[in-house]
This record gives sequence, structure tokens and C-alpha cells, in this order.
Amino acid sequence: MNDMARPSDPDPPYLYSDYGSTRLRAPLQPMVALPALAQAGAGPQIPEGFVRGGDNDLTRAGKATPLGEMMVLTGRILDVDGRPVRRSLVEIWQANASGRYDHPGDTHDAPLDPNFHGIGRTLTDEEGRYRFLTIRPGAYPWKNHAFAWRPQHIHFSLLGNAPVQRLITQMYFPGDPLLALDPVYLSIPDARARETLLCRLAPRTGIEGVALGYEFDIVLAGASATPLGI
Amino acid sequence: MAERSPSQTIGPFFHEAMRWARGGDVTFAEPGEKVVLAGRIVDGAGAPVADAMVETWQLAPDGGEPGMATGSMRPHGFGRVETDADGRFRIATSLPGGAVPHIDVAIFARGLLKPLRTRAYLAPIERVRDDPALATIAASPRLATLVARPGAGREWAWEVRLQGEGETVFFA
Repeated sequence: MNDMARPSDPDPPYLYSDYGSTRLRAPLQPMVALPALAQAGAGPQIPEGFVRGGDNDLTRAGKATPLGEMMVLTGRILDVDGRPVRRSLVEIWQANASGRYDHPGDTHDAPLDPNFHGIGRTLTDEEGRYRFLTIRPGAYPWKNHAFAWRPQHIHFSLLGNAPVQRLITQMYFPGDPLLALDPVYLSIPDARARETLLCRLAPRTGIEGVALGYEFDIVLAGASATPLGI
Repeated sequence: MAERSPSQTIGPFFHEAMRWARGGDVTFAEPGEKVVLAGRIVDGAGAPVADAMVETWQLAPDGGEPGMATGSMRPHGFGRVETDADGRFRIATSLPGGAVPHIDVAIFARGLLKPLRTRAYLAPIERVRDDPALATIAASPRLATLVARPGAGREWAWEVRLQGEGETVFFA
């Protein structure tokens, strides 16, 4: 259904050997197609009050300002037909300016920041817009291969307005030399599709004298696949 | 028409950010028959997948689409949990309505560059085979991977194998 109108699949494959963790986790059998109707419906509805004011400000986690380069991150969540994805949950998480997650599993010997936990959430407005105040995350080493470092990135989780729109992805920064070496980024087959995960510098969306502005738009699957599409 | 943004892995550090209070207790507007989906996820070597996030979505007990919850509650019909060190997760919910009761499951994890989508059917395999949505695999022995086993305390056990022998059926 709608295959003619749907752009090609931009996602990485399950098995991408350069990213070692895929080797034992990628299914090897072909995926089974479910009829579109079986996936239809409006999906989970986020209740009023679930997101609180201030949840989109990651710089207020402690008593003082976190270390690092403060940034205003704004953007729009749209579907492939250009329609805004309204009143939809956006959750983000990231490393601190030193490249350390406030997470028990992160063993990187870089300092934690008592004023930064790296967790935020918000709802998009009627035009699909979101806004976060945060700091630019640091790069960090990981054990995928020798001398491996992840490029600076912010994790994004989008619930969308239908199950078919659910997306978890990562936002990267333009000009980061680590991108060309990162198997997670490079797992996206098409170079143009990769570049849609780069934010862009937009100084005038920042806060004068305080925070740099960056913009990052995200495009979700078409809600047209959902007859109820509200 | 814009191109859809590509998926990337959830990675290993999502827990605090994605953890919802009582995320594994699925609510509905109406009462229903309480059931538990007790799942376990293993990889291609049979090792537990200890760092996955599991999301569930299903019909309400009356067979309709779950509606809007009130207050600061979680969304009706939706569950979100993480796996433990043994790869186990638990979703406490109500028996889904509809012809053949099932729970849609999405699995996110380090090493998964995009989510895996599957289903846990809370019904005998003879009924599962009759679900028109599964027509293409109704005759396959792999159908059994979608069927949870009822146990004591209205608990349904279900094992997900990401890869290899007994690999679970995943949906495109």
C-alpha cells in the first residue's frame, strides 16, 4: 500500500558487521510483512500533564550551570508529506560536555557533571515544533574497534502520532571529523540520508550571549498509512 | 515530499531517559482480565539481551483502540520496560480484545540499528493460525515463535530469539 508514493527505506540494515554488536543481534531470517491494516490506528496518546514545564531544559538539573557550550536546540517534526506531527512526545538523552553519560554502565574515565544529567522530554506544538536547552555533548571512546570514538551526538526518541511513525535516532553535528569513521553513522547506506541527521548552526535561534542556536528537523513516516490518522 | 529520517541504535545508555514510572503496568479506561506477559530476549549465541528496551501496544479489553488517559498518567494501552541482567521483562496488562488476542512488541537495543517488531499472541496456536494478518506464515513452523505459553497466575511466558535456531518471526 502506498509503495509508489513512499520514498526508499533510509534505515540501516540489521546486520552491519563494522558495528560489532549487530553480529549476534541481527535476525538472519527475512522479515515477514504484516498487512497495513494490522498496523493501523492512532497509537498511544500522551496525556496532558505527562510532560512538565522545564522538562525541556537540561541545564537546570543541579544548583549551578553545567559545564560546556550551552545550546538551544529547536526543530520541527514532520511526516513525509510535510505535515506537522503535533502534540507528540520527544525524548532526548546525551553525554555531558566531557563525553560521559550519567549512567551506571558508562565506564569512560571522564568526569561526571553534578549539574547535568543529560535527559529531557517535551511535546511538539501545533506546528510540530520542539525546543530544548542543553549543552553540546562531548565525543567519547567505545570498544567497537581500536581507537574508536563516537562523534558528538544527541539521542532522539519520537513517539509520533501513530505506531508506524515511532523512531529512535541520533543527531550529529556538521563538520565532525569522527563521522567519517563512525560505523553507527556509516551504517545508513545512503550518504544523503545520513546527512539528514546533522543539525545546522542557526545562531539567531540561540540566546544572545548565552547559548548557541542549532536546528534539527526530523521526518517521520506518513500517517497516511493510518486510516484513523488524527 | 521529504525523505524520512533514518533510524539509529538506542545504544546502551538510554535507561534513565526512557524509564517511565510504572512503565510496565499498562492501563486502560475500562476494566479487563489481568494478565502478565513474562518475556525473555536472547541473542544468536543464546546469551540474554540485558540492555534492551521493550515497548508494547495492544487493543483495549473491549477490542477498541485505547483512548486518551487523563491526568499525568501514562498513555493507555502502552507499555515500556527494560530487560534485566537475564534478558527478562514483564508487562502487566489486561487481556487484549479483538479476534485473536495479541500484544504488539517493539524491541530496541544496542546492536539493533532499527527496532525489531514482533507479536506475542495470548491464545492457543490453532487460533493464532486463523489470524488473517498472519496468512503468509500460517503454515510455517516459525509461527510458534509468536505464541506465548499460559502459566500460573495468568502469566504468559514468551521467549524472543533474535537470531539463529528458533529465530522469532519479526515484521517488516
